[in-house]
Amino acid sequence: MIRFHLRRVRARLTLWYVAPLAGVIVLYLAVVSGLLFWQMNRVLTHLAEEDLETIKGLLYFRADGRMDLHQEYHHHTEWRQVQERLLEVLTPDGRVLYRNERLGARTIGGSPFPGEGEHAYLERSTRMSDGTAVVLVSGRYDLQGKPVLIRVAYSEDLIWGRLRETLAILLLALPLALAAIAFIGYKMAARALDPVEKMARRAQQINSENLDERLPVDNPDDELGHLSTEFNATLARIGQSFEQLRRFTSDASHELRTPLAAIRSIGEVGLQQDGGPEEYRDTIGSMLEEVNRLTGLVDNLLTLSRADAGHITLRPSAFPLMPLVREAASLLDVLIEDKRLNVDLVEEEPVCALADRVSLRQAIVNIFHNAVKFTPAGGVISARVYREASWAVLALSDTGPGISPQHAGRVFERFYRADEARSGEKAAGLGLSIAQWAVRANKGEIGLASPPQGGCTFWIRLPAAPGPPAVRS
Amino acid sequence: MQEAGAGNNVGNRTMRVLIVEDEDKMAEALRHGLEADHYSVSVAHTGEEGFYLVSTETYDLVILDWLLPGRDGIEVLTRLRQRGVSIPVLLLTAKDATEDRVRGLDAGADDYLVKPFAFPELLARTRALLRRGVAETTNRLCTADLEMDVAAHKVKRSGKDLALTAREFDLLEYLLRQQGRVVSREMLARDVWKESARYTPLDNVIDVHIARLRRKLDDHFEKKLLRTVRGVGFVLGEDGA
Repeated sequence: MIRFHLRRVRARLTLWYVAPLAGVIVLYLAVVSGLLFWQMNRVLTHLAEEDLETIKGLLYFRADGRMDLHQEYHHHTEWRQVQERLLEVLTPDGRVLYRNERLGARTIGGSPFPGEGEHAYLERSTRMSDGTAVVLVSGRYDLQGKPVLIRVAYSEDLIWGRLRETLAILLLALPLALAAIAFIGYKMAARALDPVEKMARRAQQINSENLDERLPVDNPDDELGHLSTEFNATLARIGQSFEQLRRFTSDASHELRTPLAAIRSIGEVGLQQDGGPEEYRDTIGSMLEEVNRLTGLVDNLLTLSRADAGHITLRPSAFPLMPLVREAASLLDVLIEDKRLNVDLVEEEPVCALADRVSLRQAIVNIFHNAVKFTPAGGVISARVYREASWAVLALSDTGPGISPQHAGRVFERFYRADEARSGEKAAGLGLSIAQWAVRANKGEIGLASPPQGGCTFWIRLPAAPGPPAVRS
Repeated sequence: MQEAGAGNNVGNRTMRVLIVEDEDKMAEALRHGLEADHYSVSVAHTGEEGFYLVSTETYDLVILDWLLPGRDGIEVLTRLRQRGVSIPVLLLTAKDATEDRVRGLDAGADDYLVKPFAFPELLARTRALLRRGVAETTNRLCTADLEMDVAAHKVKRSGKDLALTAREFDLLEYLLRQQGRVVSREMLARDVWKESARYTPLDNVIDVHIARLRRKLDDHFEKKLLRTVRGVGFVLGEDGA
């Protein structure tokens, strides 16, 4: 299929330039023929003029008053110019004095018109009485005291014959020349398209198993090399997504299996033992706890997959950022109190964010919850809200253990846990992923900074609403 | 309003509930649960059967599954409403996208519950649907020696004032209104904290609040009123363990 298409591109390319070329050549031939005809016509006229002068000297009146021509002037009477010559001599009032043999009974130009050839040669293309197209030159002379009009003509057939011959040769050569050009062009197109075929063959072999293969780049600077490079970049991105998906699937099945395994074991063990109602109640309760964990996990996964598919509708509006931060803090206040954390909320300047409030609230609650979870008892969490260029920024710092650089880039990945020892945590490492999705969906950015001396700062940047922040009751 | 456990007969009449659910295990669990709460329960396994039963018998409530073989729940519901049947319908479904909710409610469902749900939640919704139109604006709530005056924002146990925070007060009010019945964390998150999103990490927050409320409520008294039902939720009432 690919090969067939390539062939067709080559053929099309060849056709595309052979067809206009043929047109140009035909046009060129037409123009050249016209010019040639004009040129030959001039030459013939010139000949006729010369001939006229010669003939003037050769004409004489015989004793019987009839006119004749000295034939002995031409040593070679078979000379073409003499043979093709058409000669007519008339009196000014149109009486025929002489007609040469070739002309016979035909007339060349009809009756003379006043002043014909009187002061200069009269040159014209005309038709004889039998319809033959001729080049005619006439001149008026005094011959032995009598005024005569001499007309010399040559048939245009002479020109046409030549022209036909030339054209026939040229037209015969044309298809041959075009065929040669087409052949060369086809070969050139084939050569130019060769890398495409190579790319196609390679691309055919690439599937989900060997996404790290790349297309050959013959010359990175030409168009095809550019195409290959771009295609390779796309492959790299797809490969990355695939890798992420693969990891996600394996992580997800692991996370789903853990509570399932627990439910199973608890149930099986509970059945084996002959316990009283109290013990069974406890067994069932324990299973239900795992079910709740499973349910929460599936809910979060659904949220993320729906977010990935773009099925969550956002309703952006402008609102001050600080109250949202306070809301998140007050939602978690009991946890904060329980751990005796100091929370410091600072609004450096009032700033409004342009975002979907519901999803953004989710993001802020999640990073706040994360901070509360990982800050040891008695620690400090401080939130700062400020404006930076066109961004509304929230920076949330804690005095937790911090995150090492090799983990920092991955904390937003699904199911990722910086510390494997924490895997006993109930939340399955999706909170920050959801936060990241929510912030990005709102055209913002999320990130973290963790200095070596400990502690960690999560920041969220969102497009700030223009103008002074609206007062919100 | 001393109403213990199961009072699901209005005017001495037992409430009749029809469950339309194709999955046997689920249907049986619902039947057992509702019967234990003193409802009279019928089960239909297909949409056609459900439609037939609603058309020929009298029920007070239909619990309708969305995904059914043959005619699905939405079709059944739409046809019932077209015929002018105004019986309350609680729609059950695994679909929880906002558009699905809107579709379900547009088709004429009175309420919508996403699977998997906590059973106490189903009971609460069932009660709410059957109570429709009956205003419940009691301002004085009590159980055992616990009294609450909602309007005055005061709570007393054995005549002694309890100092509760606003959130604790709301929590206790909700538990009192649902007294004797198990209340799940999802119900508390939605009705007391007003969190609509299912994925908000509120479980820890709720647990801490419950622990504090319990300390103030039960610590100094012999009789414990607030119990945790493991894996399900919490219950407030006299018949404690």
